[in-house]
Amino acid sequence: MTSKNPLVVVLEMLLGLCPLLGVGCGQANPDGGELLNVSYDPTRELWRDINARFIPAYEQQTGRRISIEQSHASSGSQARAVLDGLEADVVTLALWSDTDALRKNGLIKDGWEERLPNHALAYYSTIVFVVRKGNPKGIKDWPDLIKPGVEIITPNPKTSGNGRLSFLAAWGAVRRRGGSEEEARRFVTELYQHTPVLDNGARGSTTTFAQKKIGDVHLTWENEAHLEVAETPGELEIVYPSLSIRAEPFVAVVDANVDRKGTRATAEAYLQFLYTEEAQHILARHHYRPINEAVRKQYTAQLPDLELFPITAIAADWEDAQKKFFANGAIFDSIYKPSR
Amino acid sequence: MSITVQNISKRFGSFTALDNVSLDVPSGGLLALLGPSGSGKTTLLRIIAGLEVPDEGIILYGDEEVTHRSVRERNVGFVFQHYALFRHMSVFENVAFALRVRGWKQERVRQRVGELLHLVRLEGYEKRRPSQLSGGQRQRVALARALAAAPRVLLLDEPFGALDAKVRQELRQWLRLLHRQIHCTTVLVTHDQEEAFEVADRVVVMNDGRIEQVGSPHELLQQPASDFVMDFLGCPDYSI
Amino acid sequence: MQHNVKPTRSTSRGDPWPVRWGLTLAALAVLIVLVLVPVVNVFYQALERGLAAYWHNLFGDPNTRHAILLTLMVAPPAVLANLVFGVACAWAVTRFRFPGRAILLTLIDLPFSVSPVVAGLMFVLLFGMQGYFGPWLRAHGLKIIFATPGLILVTAFVTLPFVVRELVPVMEAVGPEEDEAAVSLGANGWQMFWRVTWPNIRWGVLYGVILCNARAMGEFGAVYVVSGHIAGRTDTMPLRVEKLFQEYNTPGAFAVASVLTFLALVTLALKTWLEHRERQEIAEALASTKTKEKQ
Repeated sequence: MTSKNPLVVVLEMLLGLCPLLGVGCGQANPDGGELLNVSYDPTRELWRDINARFIPAYEQQTGRRISIEQSHASSGSQARAVLDGLEADVVTLALWSDTDALRKNGLIKDGWEERLPNHALAYYSTIVFVVRKGNPKGIKDWPDLIKPGVEIITPNPKTSGNGRLSFLAAWGAVRRRGGSEEEARRFVTELYQHTPVLDNGARGSTTTFAQKKIGDVHLTWENEAHLEVAETPGELEIVYPSLSIRAEPFVAVVDANVDRKGTRATAEAYLQFLYTEEAQHILARHHYRPINEAVRKQYTAQLPDLELFPITAIAADWEDAQKKFFANGAIFDSIYKPSR
Repeated sequence: MSITVQNISKRFGSFTALDNVSLDVPSGGLLALLGPSGSGKTTLLRIIAGLEVPDEGIILYGDEEVTHRSVRERNVGFVFQHYALFRHMSVFENVAFALRVRGWKQERVRQRVGELLHLVRLEGYEKRRPSQLSGGQRQRVALARALAAAPRVLLLDEPFGALDAKVRQELRQWLRLLHRQIHCTTVLVTHDQEEAFEVADRVVVMNDGRIEQVGSPHELLQQPASDFVMDFLGCPDYSI
Repeated sequence: MQHNVKPTRSTSRGDPWPVRWGLTLAALAVLIVLVLVPVVNVFYQALERGLAAYWHNLFGDPNTRHAILLTLMVAPPAVLANLVFGVACAWAVTRFRFPGRAILLTLIDLPFSVSPVVAGLMFVLLFGMQGYFGPWLRAHGLKIIFATPGLILVTAFVTLPFVVRELVPVMEAVGPEEDEAAVSLGANGWQMFWRVTWPNIRWGVLYGVILCNARAMGEFGAVYVVSGHIAGRTDTMPLRVEKLFQEYNTPGAFAVASVLTFLALVTLALKTWLEHRERQEIAEALASTKTKEKQ
């Protein structure tokens, strides 16, 4: 063995103390390795349930007990954290462009969408409205949002998947009803003038709307809307607009990390598990729309049929949408000026 | 132990504190450095002690060159202007400090501190804190502390500057007596000519980082070597 | 620490009583609304469902348990680092005049003027995979960002000024004479520090350490940025409070918040006690200076 740089030895000794003290008070030390699932904001409860089912199933199958850690924050900043070295084995982010940013930086191999079923999409979702009980402002569809006196809560498109999808849904709502690009631009411009705060992530906006009670309507993930309504009994209700965007939170294995940590097989099994009927039911119970239509049909009360337009209706693809709307100096920057 | 100062210069930034100063202090002598503030007298004392390092020149104790010895190795007794007593220690522990750091046994420490407190007439004050003493008592504790480890030279920086006139008068006479008793080479710094003339055998008049004149009080008054000396000593008081 | 010599006698005695009472009541009202009510409310909310539920909220959830442990693990090394640095730095600054001293004094304050979030980002940019040292660290199997060392590092950074700023005025006030006296009496550096310097500065050091520790345990912004938000791994108590709150676990959030608030109250009590002590010592020092300055 070659002799080590003394600096490395000292650092190792110092840093070595930390995990010694730190780990072991969380979960029992797993023998089959640990997975880190880096996800977006509102999915904490979903992944907690999925993990609780996957861990025993995987142990039964392979005899190895693993542990799974979860990290949640706004989708954009999570992608950034993985780039900065957060050792995610799998990323389950809100937007294709966030996941693809990891590919561009070499952490995920080209063609990642093709390595999992259904183009790496295990569920989809959409953006709906949450309003105060009794819908005092009479908000039924997109045009109602910009009526005088309506305050809208939604997160910042620059950092949040929810934020970007709200924007895209609003834009698409105009375009799909025959409006021109110019009309769509006018609509979103006005919409963000009705937005008193832009939180960084979906959960921050939920807190603002449901717990701090700011604003009249909350544009949020369908699952988040259901959770929010359930957590504040009798205070809020969901409004489904006539149409909305089909949001596609892709999932992917972070190749560079799993290959270094030797967790590839587990990580792949974990994501494959999402496509099983059992997982599809868990997704539906958490108000994510399962790709398994047979499963979804059983939940139409909670996940009603709704016109969902694909991203291709307003841009060539997710990447094009990212460039066209959210890149520095693109449409969002030109229409939004912070009020404070 | 005689002290020899040879061609000492010291600058602080652009300020020249000492400019090529040479001086001899005979063994057992009692010498006063006299001058206005900023004349370099305290800097010279600190260089003799080893609290400052000169830019140029050398310091000898006897035949031994000590210029680059630290104050710790020089075995000097230094009495600071404001005494710098250890405020959290009793009088006993203040005086015992030099013995403790030399690893003396408790019995010898007690005996030696007893002697010293007797010498400075502070028996019975062992347990007091410095803050519970009068100025004159503090001064004498400082002196006892400086003498504890039998220093080769005794250096005093404005020893009576912070005392009221009556106490000062008493202490001057007492210091002369003490010097006769212990016979340790002593240098003291003062800006007060009366004090210098009364206590010291030889007086060094300093100005602007240079020595203007060295001599006995009598010589200085009779034959001032420069206008400055004449000016600084002012109207000679021939009654001394 | 402020060492007020003596409060000047109020000249407002001549002010009409509505002004006096109005101002007093206004100040009191603000204090009650902004300080007392929220603090009491934290404990009320935390304990609303009884002690058993409170206990369960704190120690029943493994992630919360881990957050408490992690905070207890992150704060001490950061405080210790700042203690050693603070004493060394205050020493250098007060005992020596050297080129760059003024710059050093300014730099010490930098963590106070930098937003904690920016502080966190600075470390991500340095030690992250896209930063200068990230690839090297990973190649050698070392983790800093998104792990405990990163948390300690940013905590140490944001709390850096506390001990130094506390000590510089104390050491200025004590002055170098006692140290010089110790050395002239034959003490080596070690003996001088422990027998003379340390007893003179220890209360100041303790005061700085307490403030430093309070901030270290309560830091949110900088830690948030470098934590990676991994539940049960890199969430400290303040991060856990936010997470619990966002997960609609309000009692859990308040339980953890109550622990942080309790720590703050303990800090306050210690701080008050130390200030009292300090004032006594200052009074003694002043008494001795007075006799000193008498001619």
